Amino acid sequence: MIAGFLNIRIKQFIRAMSGLGLFRVVFLSGLLGFGAFVIFMLSSGEPNSYYVTGGLVLMLIILHLNRRDKAFLKTHFNAYRLLFLVEYALITFPIALVLSIHSQWIPSLLLVAATGIVTQLDYKPKQRSTNSLVQRLIPSAGFEWKAGIRRSLFYIVPIWFIGLGTSFFIGSVPLVIFILGIIPIGFYENGEPVQMILSYEKNSHQFLWLKIKLQLILYSAITLPLIGAFILFHTELWYITFIEYLVFITLHIFLILTKYTFYQPNSKSPAASIFASIGAIASIIAIFLPIVWLLSIRFYVKSVKNLNFYLDDYN
Amino acid sequence: MITIKDLTVSYEKPQKVINGLSLSLGEDTIHGIVGLNGSGKTTLLNTLYGIKKPDAGEIRRDGSPLTKKQMSYLVTENYFYANITGREYLGLFKNQAFDEDKWNQLFLLPLDQIIDGYSTGMKKKLALLGILKQDKPIMILDEPFNGLDIETCRVIRSILLRLKEKGKTIVITSHIIETLTNLCDFIHFLENGAIKISHDKTGFNAFEREIFESIENRNMQMIDDLMK
Repeated sequence: MIAGFLNIRIKQFIRAMSGLGLFRVVFLSGLLGFGAFVIFMLSSGEPNSYYVTGGLVLMLIILHLNRRDKAFLKTHFNAYRLLFLVEYALITFPIALVLSIHSQWIPSLLLVAATGIVTQLDYKPKQRSTNSLVQRLIPSAGFEWKAGIRRSLFYIVPIWFIGLGTSFFIGSVPLVIFILGIIPIGFYENGEPVQMILSYEKNSHQFLWLKIKLQLILYSAITLPLIGAFILFHTELWYITFIEYLVFITLHIFLILTKYTFYQPNSKSPAASIFASIGAIASIIAIFLPIVWLLSIRFYVKSVKNLNFYLDDYN
Repeated sequence: MITIKDLTVSYEKPQKVINGLSLSLGEDTIHGIVGLNGSGKTTLLNTLYGIKKPDAGEIRRDGSPLTKKQMSYLVTENYFYANITGREYLGLFKNQAFDEDKWNQLFLLPLDQIIDGYSTGMKKKLALLGILKQDKPIMILDEPFNGLDIETCRVIRSILLRLKEKGKTIVITSHIIETLTNLCDFIHFLENGAIKISHDKTGFNAFEREIFESIENRNMQMIDDLMK
């Protein structure tokens, strides 16, 4: 069974790669190679080796909690946990090996142990029908935010208030703006039904600008009070949060354009997910930012072209 | 009049899902498209609605290209965006005259709950409410009765008949022929990507018999062999 599933995974991977096209595969391979080099260098000493382990385990937990085939596997196969273990080991084993090469035995063992523990996690986040005041303030056209806020309101609100309440600490507001900037990345994962796109009754350019404008307004609404508080206490460092705000605005625009470049009704595009991950990485490793900006220009043209097929009546 | 002429559609060439299909659909009427699984019903509707590009052929309404503005489309899978409520979904469609709560008295949906928690039938009802709210002259409905209880099926049937009286053109698919004979003015049988035969109401009984006989002839011998 395990061999059969791994065979299917390899086929899925090959199909996804051939769907991406040669140019993107080469581009992504380059990025991955660079990422692998960074991880290799980071894992050579403490405390970075622990950060690499922690980051990878966190990624694994998110992956495990969000995978959609769990119910299917549980229903049909007794050894489903073993399958999880084999799949996750394929991801973590190379890193554990790199850590061992650098004699980082404790992080390496922690990584191996965590891989086993993650397969035992069986938590399913509850879906809430929260209809808070915040939800009502978001216009219908911003359905991604309505859905996203509903999913994450229970931690956005405390984070926001902690940020505001501790804004006299120099690192507090920048950290909270960073977290609030990362959260909307998940809002644009899924492609909506075509009827929802048509309901705007706009041409492709107008549609994209409306989406960008809404994102700008909604993100500004949650971050500007925090920026205000930061400037109040740290006037001479005003530019820190301002630059951070601008970086996230450009990242969010990139996400919207990525979504509609690869948009197909009712589906989640693997290519869009990969490029969204590059956007997320760019928020941490600034060297990727120019790539994101250049891709945004390209994706604007491509998303207009893609949307023209669906919105041709309004062009 | 909606005219489909020499329509050819494929996903992976050279296999054609729709193969040179021609069909005229009169307006203010209900047209049923019936066919076996994989016969091309959904592909035909996707192409009619304009979300699947044809390889060849054209679709026109009174001589002009048919546009999405003139149509609403109920897809078969009941797909909705995750984590939004029924009311938020309906809120996307602009029609001030449509009273969601009044219409919902027919369907009894929990509109303020997120759609992810709805049953299959409830999702279908919500999708139908969305179609009704859009109020377009042409309604395309792919398997609208799937997953619905008897009462809702009757309600939908009555609504569709009233809509026809009000001048709407309805194109509806089903793989259950009885559903269509009770509702449609015309039924078109789709086989191997082309319309094999079309009937108006007077020919429905003979048509139904003919279809069942052809299916039985095709499969009974094999079933007998397998069940020995």
